Amino acid sequence: MRRAAALVGVAFGFLLSWGQATSPDRIREMLLLEDPYLYLMLGSGVLVASAGVRLLRRARAHALVTGEPVAWETLRPERRHVVGSVMFGAGWAVSDACPGPIAAQLGQGVAWSLFTLAGVVIGIGLYLRTQERAQPAAAPSPARG
Amino acid sequence: MDILVERPPWFVVGPLIGLCVIGLLALVNRRLGVLGGFSAVVERATGRTDELGWRGAFLLGVVGGGLIFALLSGSFGAGGGYGWLSRSVDGALVGPILVGAGVLIGFGAKTAGGCTSGNGLSGTALGSPASFVAFASFMATAVGVSLAIEGLL
Repeated sequence: MRRAAALVGVAFGFLLSWGQATSPDRIREMLLLEDPYLYLMLGSGVLVASAGVRLLRRARAHALVTGEPVAWETLRPERRHVVGSVMFGAGWAVSDACPGPIAAQLGQGVAWSLFTLAGVVIGIGLYLRTQERAQPAAAPSPARG
Repeated sequence: MDILVERPPWFVVGPLIGLCVIGLLALVNRRLGVLGGFSAVVERATGRTDELGWRGAFLLGVVGGGLIFALLSGSFGAGGGYGWLSRSVDGALVGPILVGAGVLIGFGAKTAGGCTSGNGLSGTALGSPASFVAFASFMATAVGVSLAIEGLL
């Protein structure tokens, strides 16, 4: 399972790099609405994925490695999806990077990504600690996303 | 390799990225998301879990994909500056600003249950209403903040 996930990760990191979605300048052009490339890339990716996963589900496919029936849950929007995404969007705009590009930048030897990485690690640590303080009795939730 | 120097048309890279979402579901029945990989590393490093799991493996793959690309295109470690920050801000401030932005990314995306890949790409492809709301929220914020920064510079 880990080997399969790593393999898809390699493809994903390579494609982000090739599409220059790891370049802070390209991301800035996207966010300043100067260049539609990354929107079209993301949008066409969503369309293809959307069609593909539905075909898998309709065919009652089983995952090749885990043998599980291909299925997924959907979530109803909550306040946290808005609040968290507003924070995330602000950080994205300032750094012109988000988790996928940060990981690929690390591989590309972009030294600045070490700073963004440090921040992401601190932010995740703060979140986990806040959650555990809010519900001290609950077991650590299986984090998603 | 010259083919890697220019970016290919969006209609080549985009669908291939969509195939990554399909591939992860078809192979291991999991939702693609990079943030979860960073989270798995933090959880492992702080003793909250005792293994990196598939999310950590996926993250290492993304790092490896960036490395392979940089080696094949001959761009490893290229480029001294970092985007608008290096052009507009005192050099000593770039690092601290990136750390601060990273904290917002990590805390915010964990709160929202996903980042651009987890909510924006796969969550929307899987038709999750929460992901559409998250996607709209972070796109509107990121565009608004970027335009505001551009206006202030």
